[in-house]
Amino acid sequence: MSGVVELQSLPSRPPHLPATLELSGIAHSFGGFKVLSDVNFAVPQGQIVGLIGPNGSGKSTCFNIVSGFLSPKAGRVLLSGRDMAADSIQARTRQGLMRTFQTPKVFERMSVLENVMVGLHKDGRSGILASMLRTPSARRELDRLRNTAEGACRKFGLGKLLDAQTGRLPAGQRRVVELARAYVGAPRLLLLDEPSSGLNTEEIEQLRGWIAMLNSEGMTILLVSHDMGLMTIADTVHALYFGEIIASGPMTAIQADPRVREAYLGG
Amino acid sequence: MNKLRRSLLLLLLVLAWALAPLLLSRHLIDLFVFAGLFTIGGLGVGLLLGQCGIVNLAQALFYGIGAYSSAYVTVQLGLPSLTGFLAGMLASALIAIAVGWPVLRLTGFFLALATLALSLIGNVLFFEWDWLTGGTLGIGGIPKLSIFGFAFDTPERVYYLVWPIAILVLLLADNLVRGRPGLAMRAMRDAAPAAEVLGVDMHRLKTAMFVICAMLGSLAGSLFAHYVSYISVQSFTVERSIAFLLIPVVAGSASVWGIIAGALFVTFIPELLSGFGDIHQVLFGLALVLVVTLLPDGLIGGADRLAQLLKRRMA
Amino acid sequence: MSASLVMQAILSGITNGFVYALIGIGLAVIFKGTQIINAMQGEFAVIGAMVTVFALEPAGLPYGLSILLGVISGAAAGVIIDRLFVQPMMRQRAGEESFLLLTIGLAVTLSAAVLYLAGRNSYLLPSWGEEGVIEILDAFLQIQALWLIGTAIIVVVGLRLFYGRTLLGLSMMAASMDPDGAATNGINVRRMRSLTFLLGGTIGAIAGILVAPLVAVNYHMGIALTLKGFAAAILGGLSNPLGAVLGGVTLGLLESLAVVGFPSGYKDVIALAMMIVIMIVMPNGLLGRVGRIGG
Repeated sequence: MSGVVELQSLPSRPPHLPATLELSGIAHSFGGFKVLSDVNFAVPQGQIVGLIGPNGSGKSTCFNIVSGFLSPKAGRVLLSGRDMAADSIQARTRQGLMRTFQTPKVFERMSVLENVMVGLHKDGRSGILASMLRTPSARRELDRLRNTAEGACRKFGLGKLLDAQTGRLPAGQRRVVELARAYVGAPRLLLLDEPSSGLNTEEIEQLRGWIAMLNSEGMTILLVSHDMGLMTIADTVHALYFGEIIASGPMTAIQADPRVREAYLGG
Repeated sequence: MNKLRRSLLLLLLVLAWALAPLLLSRHLIDLFVFAGLFTIGGLGVGLLLGQCGIVNLAQALFYGIGAYSSAYVTVQLGLPSLTGFLAGMLASALIAIAVGWPVLRLTGFFLALATLALSLIGNVLFFEWDWLTGGTLGIGGIPKLSIFGFAFDTPERVYYLVWPIAILVLLLADNLVRGRPGLAMRAMRDAAPAAEVLGVDMHRLKTAMFVICAMLGSLAGSLFAHYVSYISVQSFTVERSIAFLLIPVVAGSASVWGIIAGALFVTFIPELLSGFGDIHQVLFGLALVLVVTLLPDGLIGGADRLAQLLKRRMA
Repeated sequence: MSASLVMQAILSGITNGFVYALIGIGLAVIFKGTQIINAMQGEFAVIGAMVTVFALEPAGLPYGLSILLGVISGAAAGVIIDRLFVQPMMRQRAGEESFLLLTIGLAVTLSAAVLYLAGRNSYLLPSWGEEGVIEILDAFLQIQALWLIGTAIIVVVGLRLFYGRTLLGLSMMAASMDPDGAATNGINVRRMRSLTFLLGGTIGAIAGILVAPLVAVNYHMGIALTLKGFAAAILGGLSNPLGAVLGGVTLGLLESLAVVGFPSGYKDVIALAMMIVIMIVMPNGLLGRVGRIGG
């Protein structure tokens, strides 16, 4: 696909291999209240793994632990075999991890194109002094960032909205901007937090397509959602209930699992 | 066509600027010099407010450091004035790093009030350290600036010095804002967690911008000291910090070139209102409150909206 | 340094501490009710004190009535500011910095208005009860200080009961923490916000009127009062009125004890530097339980 070619034309990018993620013995609590106890699962290279569960089941906590917004009380998070425990959010980004947010956190007072350009920030070099003086290299770099971002925008159907102020866009399109912004940074592991919330059926269908595309372009994906329909895209799904994984398998099997049915319907 | 019109407009502006001192009274030129100084100092505060979303109420501190450095270096030590400029900017940068690194961990109201406290602390220290600052008596006899033997000893001459400096720093700031760091700044202003996820080193960037703001404040302060040749604590109070903050607020905080409009407002409006007698300060305060409530994008944003409204009416 | 000097420092530290506490309580009440840090809380104190001064002197009203007028004017100022400025900006969903700029602008305006109306003079009010001092271990405490401390305690206890026990207090809390949820439960969120400002203005005015017999009030003391009050509230943890008292007294004591060793000019430096350090290292204040919102 064209997007891959453009992305790889950035010289600073290392060869792009999807990452693996492994959680072992993760436990967490808030003020004595257990939210996660001994959670173990893996996201194999190049796969889409889903995490489902009712509200308060610990999905978000799990997600925040992987992305570095929380540190777990116990357990290890391994990115391609390397323990990330001590890594800051930024360090995780440098290692190829990227996340989205449940309510899309777009840069509201910036244009769509600028939003996506920020996705390339980590690949840039030019600092404050070079930018002030508009050195040739800073200018070249900015042009390159702009072109790459523009390509990504077009790919996600945002070509006509490049200069639109992102804060004025409807919820669905903000979601797309956030996705394009994550995509352009070419992460090796992408964490999607409730990507379908606030979207209509048509938009969810489109989202499925994009998730598949991101996956085919070399991103391992961890998908957190309570949208059972969207989850059928995942290779494997883990069901969380009160901080424990109660079932694992393909979505069809999960849906049939009596314990999951009880958790969702009986609880 | 459009480009031609813009260049023409620019040319006219430059011409008006260049000829202004020939036509204006000395008092007005004096006010324009101050507007230039406030443009330089206000730009720093504006970059923090408009690009980084940081309310900085400590600019009078750095304005003071610049002014006292220049005064001390030239009057007490008898060194050339350039040394004073450099000493002030260096001291300001170091203090901004030392103070900014811890303080910029705060956000929102808490950060704003911390900077307000810094300004008050600075004012007390300027007052107490009279061996350096002359206390309430101040420092007098600061020599006029002179570059290659040309003395900037009249308001007209200083006018031709201050404004090119102001335009230069505005140009640099404009480049910065359009560049990669500018994008990162606005990103952290709009949605800090997302900016962090995308790899923006927010704390470093904030500190760097705080340093730039401080150096601009110091530069303005040094120019001020040489222009007025007498300085005292009264010039570096919290009120001065508030006035610096109001420059970008009035202008519409995200606009770089709008800072000029903000600086002109802060210099000329009190002057115009002083015709109303003692009540002018109240009117000035009210004008500011009204700008904050009615024009969230400042004068520039308000003018834009008015222009659009008129366009629609005409069409 | 003599023991009586230290004792004197302690007594005046406690007195000042309660002044900071009262301002801090007002700040905390408004923050609790609106999520706004009101940078003109100190101006409420100046308004309350100045109205009382002028009701008493040129107008010749009895002291009790003058005090009442002072308190009412603080309360009215709170409501007017809310209705005229805060509500419209809330509707535009203005950000944190806009509210800060608004309250700073109002502080500048009000201080200029006081300068215009009352001039540069400083004004003292007569003591509430008897003039005079009591002696404790060779140090002196003005009787007015006891009034101040007593009133502050009454205000704290009253607020505790108000927020904890009354429906109105609970509604005010709900309207602030979850405006949409409160509105669906039939709470008039706008009115609750106005009431919050009324309460903040009232407490501010009371603080000013209590201080004026001890410290002469003038047009430019508002900002310094606000900052000291904010320091007190931060020390105590913003969401807790009792904390503001603890914070205020700690601040007052540190300030006045430090002055025993340092030149008195450094009093403010010490207090403000402490405020900054506390915000950074103890974001939840000395009591440090309740989370800080908005920071």
